[in-house]
Amino acid sequence: MIKIEPDAWTVMVEHAKTAYPNECCGAMIGTIDGDEKLVKVSVPLENAFQGAQAARYELRPEDLLQADREARRQGMDLIGIFHSHPDCDAYFSETDLKNSCPWYSFVVLSIQGGQFHHANSFLPNADQTAADKESLEHPR
Amino acid sequence: MAKVLIPTPLRQYVDKKDTVEAAGATVGEVLGALTTQYPDLRKNLYTDEGKLRSFVNVYVNDEDIRYMSKDATAVAAGDTVTIVPSIAGGL
Repeated sequence: MIKIEPDAWTVMVEHAKTAYPNECCGAMIGTIDGDEKLVKVSVPLENAFQGAQAARYELRPEDLLQADREARRQGMDLIGIFHSHPDCDAYFSETDLKNSCPWYSFVVLSIQGGQFHHANSFLPNADQTAADKESLEHPR
Repeated sequence: MAKVLIPTPLRQYVDKKDTVEAAGATVGEVLGALTTQYPDLRKNLYTDEGKLRSFVNVYVNDEDIRYMSKDATAVAAGDTVTIVPSIAGGL
């Protein structure tokens, strides 16, 4: 289960709305207690995909490296990645799956008409062939 | 010895440490020593064919080894080796 604190959630939604009609992406930092992940800080990152970004995103590894360092500096962990699906449901697409990593939670925000609509979290497997839906709790 | 920073989800395979020291003159040797010491880590980093998984990037200090000499990239004592995932997606 992954729970997102209000301030972190606001950052994620605002980043997604600002990027609309393009996809946004970012990192989620927080703590892990057994199966429970708590996102305390969200870090908006630049969509580095070279090309039309309405249906694609790419994270620069060096940006993730910085996010990981920042998490360690704050005594927390990098626990997930978020990105948006403009005018589309928050599902884990084939493109998402084939470019995923099994180590983190992947939160997808559906932004429809420029406004937040709904979100889901996924846990992809190591072979990038399937992703389980993860229980997600976020502010309304 | 190089210092290897372990991503949170992989710490369960290295006795819950966030940093592990491993010996080696190249990235390949350091990761080889690391995964010999912690065999459960190996399947998370390498495919069955022994290649680094597609989503695994490795940095030596601030340098991405893909733009250096890949597995043969030199590692000096005191260097920091960081494992960073490669992530993208879309509709």
